[in-house]
Amino acid sequence: MSTLDISVQHVGKEYRLGASRRASAFWALRDVSLDVPRGSSVGIIGRNGAGKSTLFKLLAGITAPTTGRIVLNGHLAALIEVGSGFHPELTGRENVFLSGSLLGMTRREIAGKLDRIVEFAGVRQFIDTPVKWYSSGMYVRLGFAIAAHLEPHILLVDEVLAVGDAEFQARCLQRIQELRVQGTTCLFISHDLTAIERLCNRAVLLERGEIAAAGAPADVVATYHRRIIADANAPGAPVAVALKSGVTLTNLSMHDPDAPDSVSCRTGGPLLVSLKYEATRRSPAIEFELRIYAADGKTRLATLRTGERGDEISVDAPGGTIEFAVATLPLGVGMYYLGALARDIVTNTTVAWWDGETRLHVQDGPRSGGQREIPHTWRHIQADAGDRTLAASVRISPPG
Amino acid sequence: MSRPTVIYEPPALRHIHPLAALRRLRQFRDLFITLSLHRVNVRYKQSRLGILWAVIQPLAMMVVFTLMFTLVRANPGGSVPFPLFAYAALVPWTMFSSGLSAASAALTSHASLLTKVAFPREILPLTYVVAALVDFVLSCAVLAGLMLWFGVTPSATVVWAVPAILLLVAFLIGLALLLAAMHVRYRDVGLAMPLLLQVWLFASPVLYGLAAVKDALPEPLYLLYTLNPLVGIVDTFRRAIILQQSPDYIALGISAAVALSLLPVSYLYFKYVELTIADAV
Repeated sequence: MSTLDISVQHVGKEYRLGASRRASAFWALRDVSLDVPRGSSVGIIGRNGAGKSTLFKLLAGITAPTTGRIVLNGHLAALIEVGSGFHPELTGRENVFLSGSLLGMTRREIAGKLDRIVEFAGVRQFIDTPVKWYSSGMYVRLGFAIAAHLEPHILLVDEVLAVGDAEFQARCLQRIQELRVQGTTCLFISHDLTAIERLCNRAVLLERGEIAAAGAPADVVATYHRRIIADANAPGAPVAVALKSGVTLTNLSMHDPDAPDSVSCRTGGPLLVSLKYEATRRSPAIEFELRIYAADGKTRLATLRTGERGDEISVDAPGGTIEFAVATLPLGVGMYYLGALARDIVTNTTVAWWDGETRLHVQDGPRSGGQREIPHTWRHIQADAGDRTLAASVRISPPG
Repeated sequence: MSRPTVIYEPPALRHIHPLAALRRLRQFRDLFITLSLHRVNVRYKQSRLGILWAVIQPLAMMVVFTLMFTLVRANPGGSVPFPLFAYAALVPWTMFSSGLSAASAALTSHASLLTKVAFPREILPLTYVVAALVDFVLSCAVLAGLMLWFGVTPSATVVWAVPAILLLVAFLIGLALLLAAMHVRYRDVGLAMPLLLQVWLFASPVLYGLAAVKDALPEPLYLLYTLNPLVGIVDTFRRAIILQQSPDYIALGISAAVALSLLPVSYLYFKYVELTIADAV
């Protein structure tokens, strides 16, 4: 059991920005060492730009390290961005072969697994349709299904689980559990801290290209939270100020008021988000902010503020709940992240930050279609026989 | 499935083992096949004339040059009709030029793939060489038709076409790997390609015979001229198929030496650049 499947030894990766020789260089990773024993699961967490993706690319063999070395024991498969190898003109079946062979499978292996892949992705009806006609959900499902059937010795998973609907995500997790039971060594890179805690027996926190913490997932995730909170207040607002403000955000949850038990909501449907806070003393002017991020966790799509019209909230011990309500949710089908913060309007400092990686699953609404629900009005103008404008425009339309 | 040990280290020529690289390439042979088929299928899929484009290019050039030489009342082909003389050399030339210009851009045109998936990158330029070979076979069929039309029958010398084609493929692969790898770092390669191919056409015995050059150039200059591997290759191909002559052994020997020594060198260079290709594309 002591065999190491992955051994990262003092690895550094330098990137040069720009083409010239004197271009500035920066180290995306610096002296990173990491040993992953056979059969274990390790989660890599850290903020954007901490070096997670660089480490992933080095392990996947996409690019070579600048210093140090990496030793892998066994076949490695990387799920980097599902559907990367797809060609839109080719059918689903042809793309399974193309994508599978890009991942190193032989045609025979793929042919043997084709049925299971198609079944897993749930695209049987459309397998001979060019993938350019696929919905983005089908595309992603097929991409993951191929990679999930590779049966490698070492599996790298990078944020792929942030795609697809809740049911498909559950199926992906189940598949990963199956692979783990079979003894596959797994390495996850994710923003989804709950998934890391559930799937991994070790976690590593990367910060500015270096390992900042390693150990039991719960401990590392806790360290990560502490640092995020500290940093959110960092510039000109040290931690002490945050503590003095006495406000902490304790829970962020959402529900569809029409279906209180559901964890997801629908395009064009209502959305209700509750943000719970605790306060140790009175603060006269606090503004709460709810942020909606895209699935990449970076792109901020919207900010909902309580202080929009200059309203300020006076908070006092022991705390309370802010409810944000959206009547018709203008988001397309997919997964989003929610973030929240509290700001002191008087000092203009962030006093509390929610970083629980709360997910928002948006499902297809009964009356919607497409990527966005666009609020609209409409009217119907009946053309009657006496409507001369219409009749005239028809008459003059043939030229000459 | 056996467990291979894979080691990733900083790029250094001494860490590159050509045999290990070839073994890995062999592992991915199905990707090579799939991508090559895809290349051939997709290329002409959305065009009206489809696969005809494979033969239109050498044929059109043959027509243009025939008109030109008719105007100046010259026939570099001697006893052989000029259209046939030109076409027999344009067939290998077109394979070389179209294969090289597509293959040298193979990496830069697949940037998103290179930054997301790890596979032997030489497969990308190689698939364009396969596509050029398919076009080559089609234009050879047209060549056979032209020979029937002009009443030219090949003799036993035709077997010399085989080493000529093999050398052409070897040279094309060697140069394509070199230029594709350079293209990632120096975009000038893509810009220089049309000019390079234009000059190269006239520096090779396509529109004229090798014998004429031998007569016209002094010895040292002629030797320099034959360092261009296409000289021996194109000339041998034409002699073998339509002139019923055995090759100019010296020219062919020089071509073989240049082409076969370029191939391993450029493969090594390619594998070296490959290690950090994803950072540059």
